[in-house]
Amino acid sequence: MRWLFLTLAGPTLWAVMFSIVYALHGVVCAGVAGPEGLGLGARWMLIVVWVLGLAAFVPLYRALPHGGELTHYLPRLGVWIGLAATAFTLFPVVFVTSC
Amino acid sequence: MTDITSFDAAEDRATTNSIPRNPPQRALHLHRELGRVWANDKGFWGQITAVSHTTLGLRFMATAFVFFAIGGILSMLIRAQLATHQGAFLDTEIYNQIFTMHGSIMMFLFAIPMLEGLAIWLLPKMLGTRDMAFPRLTSLGYWCYLFGGLIMLTALLFGVAPRDGWFMYTPLASAVHSPGINADVWLLGVTFVEISAIAAAVEITVTILRQRAPGMKLTEMPLFAWYMLGTSAMMLVGFPPLIAGSVLLELERAFGWPFFDPTRGGDPLLWQHLFWLFGHPEVYIIFLPAAGVMSMIIPVMCRTKILGYGAIVAAVLGLVFLSFGLWVHHMFTVGIPHMALAFFSAASVLVAVPTAVQVFAWIGTMWKGQPQLHLPMYHILGFFLTFVMGGLTGVMLAIVPFNWQAHDTAFVTAHLHYVLIGGFVFPMMAAVTYWMPLITGRRRIKGLGETAFWVIVVGFHGTFFIMHLTGLMGMPRRIDIYPDNPEWVWLNLTSSIFSFVLTIGFAMFALDLLLQIFLGKRESRDPWEAPTLDWAMPLPSPNYNYASLPTLRDLDKPARDVILPLARGEGALPGAPRGRREFLVTRAINAEPDHVAILPGNTALPLVLSASIGVFVLLMLASLYLLAAFALLPVAALIWVWVRAMAPSGDLRPIEIAPGTSLPVHHHARQSLAQSGLNALLVADGTLFASLIFGLAFLSVVTQGPAAPPAGAHTMASLVALGVIGVVMMIAAWIATGVGRGTAQLGVVLNIVALVVLTWLALTQMDDPTVHARDALRAAVAGYVALHVIVAAGMAAFVADQYRRGEITAQIHGGYPGWRKWQSFTTATTLIAIAILLAQVFA
Amino acid sequence: MRGASAFIAFALLAGCDTGLSTLAPAGPVAADIAWLWWVMLAGATLITVLMVVLLVVAFGRPKDTGSRVWTHGMGLWFSLTVLTALLAAGLWVGERIQPRDDDAVVVRAHAFQWGWEFSHEAADGTAVESNDLLHIPVGVPVDVLITSEDVIHSFWVPRLAGKMDAIPGRTNRTRIQADEAGEYDGLCAEFCGLNHAGMRFSVQAHANWPPDLNEAEQ
Repeated sequence: MRWLFLTLAGPTLWAVMFSIVYALHGVVCAGVAGPEGLGLGARWMLIVVWVLGLAAFVPLYRALPHGGELTHYLPRLGVWIGLAATAFTLFPVVFVTSC
Repeated sequence: MTDITSFDAAEDRATTNSIPRNPPQRALHLHRELGRVWANDKGFWGQITAVSHTTLGLRFMATAFVFFAIGGILSMLIRAQLATHQGAFLDTEIYNQIFTMHGSIMMFLFAIPMLEGLAIWLLPKMLGTRDMAFPRLTSLGYWCYLFGGLIMLTALLFGVAPRDGWFMYTPLASAVHSPGINADVWLLGVTFVEISAIAAAVEITVTILRQRAPGMKLTEMPLFAWYMLGTSAMMLVGFPPLIAGSVLLELERAFGWPFFDPTRGGDPLLWQHLFWLFGHPEVYIIFLPAAGVMSMIIPVMCRTKILGYGAIVAAVLGLVFLSFGLWVHHMFTVGIPHMALAFFSAASVLVAVPTAVQVFAWIGTMWKGQPQLHLPMYHILGFFLTFVMGGLTGVMLAIVPFNWQAHDTAFVTAHLHYVLIGGFVFPMMAAVTYWMPLITGRRRIKGLGETAFWVIVVGFHGTFFIMHLTGLMGMPRRIDIYPDNPEWVWLNLTSSIFSFVLTIGFAMFALDLLLQIFLGKRESRDPWEAPTLDWAMPLPSPNYNYASLPTLRDLDKPARDVILPLARGEGALPGAPRGRREFLVTRAINAEPDHVAILPGNTALPLVLSASIGVFVLLMLASLYLLAAFALLPVAALIWVWVRAMAPSGDLRPIEIAPGTSLPVHHHARQSLAQSGLNALLVADGTLFASLIFGLAFLSVVTQGPAAPPAGAHTMASLVALGVIGVVMMIAAWIATGVGRGTAQLGVVLNIVALVVLTWLALTQMDDPTVHARDALRAAVAGYVALHVIVAAGMAAFVADQYRRGEITAQIHGGYPGWRKWQSFTTATTLIAIAILLAQVFA
Repeated sequence: MRGASAFIAFALLAGCDTGLSTLAPAGPVAADIAWLWWVMLAGATLITVLMVVLLVVAFGRPKDTGSRVWTHGMGLWFSLTVLTALLAAGLWVGERIQPRDDDAVVVRAHAFQWGWEFSHEAADGTAVESNDLLHIPVGVPVDVLITSEDVIHSFWVPRLAGKMDAIPGRTNRTRIQADEAGEYDGLCAEFCGLNHAGMRFSVQAHANWPPDLNEAEQ
């Protein structure tokens, strides 16, 4: 079963990051910002969280075993899926405006 | 760095490669022996008591097809109404009921049960085992599905069917704006049906992980099993938000708890979030099994192996996760900030990538091989044409500005029919035509099937292709007349005419199946020369599937080369010499043989249990809430009887599955199927809890409604009571890790103490849940905890009873591990609930 | 494909007549979205043709192309490239048509079962109410503040902009703009009960703002 959990690790990290950034954005928009949009501080906070999330994939990747069989490389494929999804789905924090 | 394959190898030095062959016996003798043990009872009664996956899988599919026909007739009525702009055919009230029921039937009573049925029927055959993990649960799921569906159909006959659209947006579906039982029929009926979805998800997960033929590694199993593993995992996580939402909305309607009422601190958007948190994964829950069918049939039709096995598995993995990050694209117009929309737009776009990987892998497979135009291949081509176009319009709808125009128009109607008929119905028709010989043992009558295919293709695209245009020209969904828009008439009339062509096509398809069942000639074994185990059996497949179970050496051979040795009992665990139903249980990753599971036989208990749940549902519908509460007593009693029926008895000695290789029976197993099943159930249960917590967070952060009145009773007494509950539950979880009759009895007492304190808290200290949504959600969370504490008490009582009867020994754990697991889960959720409550109070 | 283009040509003609067609935009917001649609339609048509060609060719002799061309080349990189470009275009358009803080004219739309109450500010700053007819100025962005009395409705004027839901308990804001004076049709797009189909309204764009309604009515 441990193998299955390792395989799920990468996409799960994406799910966690996606939830955190979405929730933070919701909290910021509900509480802090008015119609003029996100404050600069809040935007930087989201960007920092996003970059930290991307960085978290590096130690995860290195912790996984290497090898040529599917059993060996599927967990690492999972990390690539998670990394690509985190980069792709959360890049709007950089330039999309407004609450 | 450790070798990853060593995780399982380290756990046991098992015997995959060394399972010797059993001596051959007379195949007919084995067939009779197994038939006596595995056959259904005779006659009509046999249909009531059947628990066989073959019988129930087929019955699921047949019933789903009947509902498909009913949903189809409703769609004919819709198209007849829309054929002209004055639409004098139906009155609006009836029209609203009809389109609501069309959507609900197709989603909940056709698509989901159909894929469940296919998986239940096919997986054990494909994985090399004799039945699903929990045969009685299969049966329970079927009866809940049937009864729930019948409740909804009956409501339609009496003109009180749901009428608020299949996604039941509140406040339209609230008690104020939708008086009468219409909405309750949907909420209670669908939730009743969803029991079968959760049941199926649990046993599909367990069957795939624990019942593969010895040596069939997870990374080498047929792709259909990967797809179904993804599907069942998604069902475990996807359905609980819907169930949570339905329960909350029913509580609002029945008792005035204002979860979604904006005037009392609730939020209609909370319903939308919960609904689509289910609703979008649902689309992939429907698509994945269909894609699994494609991955099985295409290589066989092209006389080659699938291209890019690893890439497809990774694509499934990606789809399973990404599909949970898209739900907001059904809510792009509710006024969510653009940045949040952008996250979901990006995720909705990205999900097309794993889909593209699969589509191109299938096309690559066709290039690699030599495609042959048998009937299943026609439907596969129908899939490609239709689904690709549906996928492309799906990507369009993921683009926020375009969505603002196209949302809630006929464009979306067109898109979703392209995706669902293209991505589900065509593959299912491919599946049925492909596996029909295994179902009936008969050969198809040539000609009619091909004609049906062409009629369906023409009818489908004629109906829905121009509907994209109808939508772009401004026609919204769910209107019954359009007197001011004569420019839509020719579009709608064309759609209506072709929709009748489409219906004729489906009728011809059904006729083709009937002709094959009743008039087809005998088909020879393995007619497609397939490589997978599902064809390594006589036609039609016997109830027990395999006279002896395939092992590693049977896996890499063509099916036709292993039919005979398996039928002669040369595989593992031949026959039924102990007169009971048995199969092998293996380990999750590498399929090392672990133990032999003994299964229950035919029983009417599932029917009785689901009927008693049905009584509860009907009493709720009749607003007889006190009586409904009492109706839960027989349900609880029947569950007790259910579990008692599997108590250890008879011959529990290890079983020799092959010369010199013995395995323990499941009562002695460290990790039994039941425990794996409980793990899966707790995943769903945890998601249900998380949905409630999400609701709590959503209402307190996002909702802009009136502030909650100051909480009435934050007295010292209520804090002390919370503390008592927390401590008692921690002690209960701690003692459940020990063993002994005394601990189980203590467990009963502790859970009852917690329940009494909680009841006191609810009755005297908690704020009135009808005043404000915050208090209503707190009450709902308290109800969740109370329910789990009651079950924990019941499980502890069951274990204490097992001790009393002397069924639990040093080697046999009985219900003990289950109670321990449940108690830990209950304690964890209780503590989280208390922590969140305290955080809210002191923040 | 020929059939499709015939449909589209017909749609364009028909759209001009009635004013519910998204393909006959009458303002910059709707025009941006319509442009996005035509680009996406062209791309989707190309991809569909490509798929059909690939399927037809598959029925020839077996071809050994290697698996990575399909799974990585086509499945991953081809789709990711197209999708990234499309997403960027979509977000860019989305940003352009967002309501923002730029002194746009503000009007109100209040939905109920089954009709609309609109209001705008007269020259003296008082609110002027009107039923099922919304007055806006021509040529400038107008922000509509959308609320609901009872259930969820949706404010949609297809020729001017996309739709925005009217949700009880919330105030939503959307931006519309008309290039020319005249009347534009609008409707409720979210299913709202028995008379959902009849919940129509009009938008009157005026060259003079605020309009003199007495004169306009004569």
